[in-house]
Amino acid sequence: MIEEPYRWVEAIANRREYIEGQLAPGSPIAALGYRDGILFVTLGQTRQKIFEIYDRIAMGAIGHPGDIERLRMAAIELASTEGFTRSAADVSLRRLVHYSLSPVMKTAFEQIYGPPYLARMLFAEVAEQPEGDLFLRVEYDGEIAISGATYAQARRDFAALSGTQQSRELMEAFLATQHTTDANLATTFNLALDAWSIGHMTLQTTDTKKLPERAAVRKHLQEQLANAAIEAALLERDAGRAIRYRSLSDNELRPLIHD
Amino acid sequence: MERSPVAFDQNFSGAAGDFPALLRRKGLLAPAAANPLPLAGTSQKTWQPTEATTILAFKFSGGVLVAGDRRATAGNTVVYDRADKVLEIDRHSIMAIAGVPATAWEMARVLEHSFQYFRRTQLQEMSVDGKVRALSKLLRDNFGFVMQGVGVVVPIFATYDSHPKPEARLYFYDAMGAQFEVADYAATGSGSPAVRGILYYENSWGAKPLKELSEDEAVSIALRALDTAAESDTSTGGVDRSGKIYPLIKIVSRKGITTLPESKIAAVFKATVA
Repeated sequence: MIEEPYRWVEAIANRREYIEGQLAPGSPIAALGYRDGILFVTLGQTRQKIFEIYDRIAMGAIGHPGDIERLRMAAIELASTEGFTRSAADVSLRRLVHYSLSPVMKTAFEQIYGPPYLARMLFAEVAEQPEGDLFLRVEYDGEIAISGATYAQARRDFAALSGTQQSRELMEAFLATQHTTDANLATTFNLALDAWSIGHMTLQTTDTKKLPERAAVRKHLQEQLANAAIEAALLERDAGRAIRYRSLSDNELRPLIHD
Repeated sequence: MERSPVAFDQNFSGAAGDFPALLRRKGLLAPAAANPLPLAGTSQKTWQPTEATTILAFKFSGGVLVAGDRRATAGNTVVYDRADKVLEIDRHSIMAIAGVPATAWEMARVLEHSFQYFRRTQLQEMSVDGKVRALSKLLRDNFGFVMQGVGVVVPIFATYDSHPKPEARLYFYDAMGAQFEVADYAATGSGSPAVRGILYYENSWGAKPLKELSEDEAVSIALRALDTAAESDTSTGGVDRSGKIYPLIKIVSRKGITTLPESKIAAVFKATVA
């Protein structure tokens, strides 16, 4: 039956609906470029969601832990072998995602007798200057969204990942108006928390195009901070060291929170 | 079905965090020689280790000092006078090498990536014992080549351990991969007998034991030891007075690794050695 083209389209559509449903409750992740690097922030309950991939590359992911692990391992393997056989400077996020991860995810998604990857990922690569930072979002079907300028949008020095498209778009809309790369860590961190709160609030609501009120965003954030841990990591711009990834602890970050 | 360029196999080595295994799977690392017999034509009746260099390391008040001369030789010929034999593996670990440079540098690269790969895949730092063992395993895997007369490496490994108690740790290895932790000092390479004599003497009857030396005193002893080794060992560069080439000295402490600037080494050399 699958030989009939419209059946295949239907099967893909079903599969898309199923995956979207699985990913929908995923807690948002925000990655913001700033003066001294790139900051990844999420509020987590249990599982680690932000990972080091290579010297200048980090990843945030939502989805099934098994699938995230397989993709994470593959990304680390590819980056490590490239860094070993050539050099760390030859490891590039653009190549990693475009030539390796995306085709594999697309194939898995479209071969409807095999399992797709239940994962949505956000990658960032830090450069010497904020203009060189790269943010890539990779969907379960292999689709790639780039933060760089396209005919439809200006360059963005941030990226967001969330369970639903609506939630992510609201986070992006908020960050597009508020975010600048010349801010310091504390300012950037608070902005990331606000973005997370907006993303988290709007996961359940249907058809909202409007950003929630600021007071509501802060209130929701305070409630969530009371019973969840902050998970965050930095890709530092500091060129003095090869390994730029550093995870930040909850204790280190709480004092930076302000209204 | 054609395999994808990203080999997403189910028994991926990532789960074990074993980087050499990953390299072997991808054909990027020579397999461990299963049959360590001499190659036809290169067989030697008595195996002569060729570790033409001098490397030393000892604990002092500020951590571990690791020093190496800069000379690289091929037989009787000096091929390079600025060789770097004291290599940083990670923020707290140094591998200093005597032996065949090609193999040694490759080992250092594998080791460096192994530690990072382990941390990235397993989401935890490799323990000091694990790191020491990783080098041991690389040496063991290389032993087939050693027996074939190519690629002997005899390293020293210095690191700073934060668990269970913070302390500097120092190891030397033999070519088969046996590791020996030392309390005070280690030396390897063709010039090492002289160095070992000096360090033993200093530690036992010198002004104070090596462990209590200040940084300047430690640098001074390292320079004197390398210069003594160079006196009788043609493969050791020591200090090149006319070319102003000084040994490479690095220090491992709680803060990490410090590479001593040449100006500082030159100053100590002028004041206490020359």
